[in-house]
Amino acid sequence: MIVCVAVVGHQSFTEADDALKLHHIVHCSLDVVDERVNNPKKSGPTLNETFLGLLYPTENYKVYGYLTNTKVKFILVTTDLDVRDVDVRNFFRRFHAAYVDAVSNPFHVPGKKITSRTFAERVSNIVKSFGLSST
Amino acid sequence: MGREVSESCIDSLLTEMVSSYCNHFYANKPELAARRIEAIGYQVGHQLSERYTMERPRFSDHLEAIKFICKDFWSELFKKQIDNLKTNHRGTFVLQDNRFRWLARMSLDPTADDAVPQDPADFAESKAAQAMSMYLYFPCGIIRGALSNLGIPCAVSADISNLPACSFVVRIKA
Repeated sequence: MIVCVAVVGHQSFTEADDALKLHHIVHCSLDVVDERVNNPKKSGPTLNETFLGLLYPTENYKVYGYLTNTKVKFILVTTDLDVRDVDVRNFFRRFHAAYVDAVSNPFHVPGKKITSRTFAERVSNIVKSFGLSST
Repeated sequence: MGREVSESCIDSLLTEMVSSYCNHFYANKPELAARRIEAIGYQVGHQLSERYTMERPRFSDHLEAIKFICKDFWSELFKKQIDNLKTNHRGTFVLQDNRFRWLARMSLDPTADDAVPQDPADFAESKAAQAMSMYLYFPCGIIRGALSNLGIPCAVSADISNLPACSFVVRIKA
């Protein structure tokens, strides 16, 4: 079950800040799913070679990261223990498409929080269908 | 991908945008109008680059990003690629489009009092060139917005001394 999905802009964080930021992000993130606390990260696929660096390790959760060409990071936190790589990639692909549409809104100010309800609904749908394909 | 609009709508929109800003909002203040139009282009380029880099692997260096602008980005916008790319290997790139789509239908009125000078050196100074250059702030802004979203701050200017070819000069900020 996905507990949290977050979009992070292009400032870069140091290792130590990451956990705190992630907490912060978790608490302020999209109104999509309930949030709990942090997690161990089980590396994140990005569009290209490198995985995102190790996030703060914790017991029950998995955190996936995705980095776009424009230095925007998507963070996915899940409690599923056996998540297939292809599912996560699929998830991020659809999420990226929704993000691009939300950002193309002329009333959206780059760098500020996305407030579009359509975006929230689309993400909600993507999240809901995440578990289904992995059975 | 997504919905489409006819090209004549885009042409009309651009014409009206330049006309509104030059003659209405910032009448007699062409520098302000130019800056505003360029800023609109910047936002558009920013958003378009987000969309067109979606499925691609990340760029390893500036040259890759510029090549992306010349090929895929330009194809998405203008259905053709940049015809010629030059660089001085020190942060300046010249992107030449031999028949820039948004200038393709512009005529230079030969019956006007100050007729269009044929000599390129004079042309650059003429009012015709100045009028035409207002239409180039928007594409310059688009290029600047796209590159800056890819992490490359730069300044972009246009050069129309060689119509119908149009060159965009990109200077990457150190």
